[in-house]
Amino acid sequence: MRRYLAVLRGTAMVGLVYRFGYFFAILGNLLYIGIVYFLWRSIYQGRDTLRGLTFNETMVYIALGSTIFFLLKTYSDWIIHFEIREGIIATYLIKPMDFQTYALFAVLGSTIMNIFAISIPTVLFMIFVLKVSFATGIGLALFPLSFIFALVISFCIDFFVGLMGFYSESVWGISYVKEVILMFSSGALIPLQFFPDGIREILLWLPFQAVFHTPLMMVTKPKLELDTFIPMLGIQAFWAIALIILTRLFYHQAIKVLRISGG
Amino acid sequence: MQSLRDYIRLYFIIEAQYIKARMQYRADFIISSIGMFFTSLVTLSVFWVIFDSVPDLAGWTLTEMVFIYAFYMLAISPMQILFDHFWQLRFHIQQGTFLKYYFRPLNMMFYYTSEMFDLKGLIQLVTGLILLIYAASQLHVDWTLSRIALLIMTLFSASLVQISMIVSAACAAFWIIDSYPVLGLAWKLREFSPYPMTIFDGAFRFAFTYLIPIGFVAFYPSQLFLRPNEVSSIVYFSPLIGIGLFAFTYWIWTKGVNSYTGTGS
Repeated sequence: MRRYLAVLRGTAMVGLVYRFGYFFAILGNLLYIGIVYFLWRSIYQGRDTLRGLTFNETMVYIALGSTIFFLLKTYSDWIIHFEIREGIIATYLIKPMDFQTYALFAVLGSTIMNIFAISIPTVLFMIFVLKVSFATGIGLALFPLSFIFALVISFCIDFFVGLMGFYSESVWGISYVKEVILMFSSGALIPLQFFPDGIREILLWLPFQAVFHTPLMMVTKPKLELDTFIPMLGIQAFWAIALIILTRLFYHQAIKVLRISGG
Repeated sequence: MQSLRDYIRLYFIIEAQYIKARMQYRADFIISSIGMFFTSLVTLSVFWVIFDSVPDLAGWTLTEMVFIYAFYMLAISPMQILFDHFWQLRFHIQQGTFLKYYFRPLNMMFYYTSEMFDLKGLIQLVTGLILLIYAASQLHVDWTLSRIALLIMTLFSASLVQISMIVSAACAAFWIIDSYPVLGLAWKLREFSPYPMTIFDGAFRFAFTYLIPIGFVAFYPSQLFLRPNEVSSIVYFSPLIGIGLFAFTYWIWTKGVNSYTGTGS
């Protein structure tokens, strides 16, 4: 465990070097929240609720979604692909570490930095400056657990796409498609409530919604019954475990095709 | 200094070589193109989902939004196809490989830009064109010769606005090294350019019209074709805005190039 914590500390420190980036991330996020505020205001056009969401709830969903986006976007696919292409991956393979666990802890380092440097300041700004009101309830208590599941699922998806670098030079295209599908079908762009019923029913079973929609619902509608939240967490847990198994199997297959010439 | 003709000839020679080299990775081209196409499809789906709940967005119908989005796709294509190399400016600056651009008897921006020609952007161009023709026929836009001339002119200035935004954001690397946060911000902002600027109030509308004029990438010029009677007079200045912004960006680039000291290696 200690060796993985060292990896975590390392990536957290890297974050500190580019402090300027945090400033822009917060600024960009607030600007984004401002823009979607106007966009959704014109969609609501004075209506109280649309699809069972009040304007305030939709704003909490979207604003918080773009804030946790910085935590859930792991960049693992890009990093792993880069490491494969440059042959750097060899240096990790000879270390007494499990590569996937190593990659996960590398992600955790930057996620923890981003929680303090981006998410908390943004949420404080939302509460105290924008006067966004957050409802309280059982959902808020479940949010941390749901968020951890979401992070694991997001990481596994990215890790999986990253491993495709063993087979194809073209991870740009695959990563891009993954990104676009994830953003759209997870609720990160539009709350899933707004989707037509049939499509939403399908999306709610996929792993993508477990990344954004489920944790966001915990905060948007925290007053819902525990009976509603438990199945949502169940689906998240299922996908988290299924994807961990799947990526591990894929990793053990993929590693066999690796050939590094010299270096 | 070379003449314009030499530059054009040179550009074709460089691009021909580049495309030959890229064609080694045919699968990459195909997958990337699918990715590009998919992105457009998803953005359209966002409109579709929004319009599933509401009949109009600030008075604009779905078909009109498709027209604006198609215009947007065409307007961002030159940036994507011709200026894609600017995404890598920060790496060249960080690694010191940017120095090589100082050693050719060519305009540096030309030389730097010419080193990349993004083929997958062509998919975006074609998709945009098909969508524009489709939406325009649905909306009964009457394509007179002067309208087509107007379209070309407005697209030209809109793409200059887009190019200026990304290039100047990339140039931040000359001073802060890792310009990704600035580029990411510019990228995020531009994704809102196909939305009606009339949804914004006060400071935001002012900023998107005069400061970071994403309104001129798609919405304001599209108005000329969709609702010519509602156009505000500022829209007619769009060529000036495009050229002016590009001149300003070139000035930033020159400043940056002159202040860069390399990495010492």
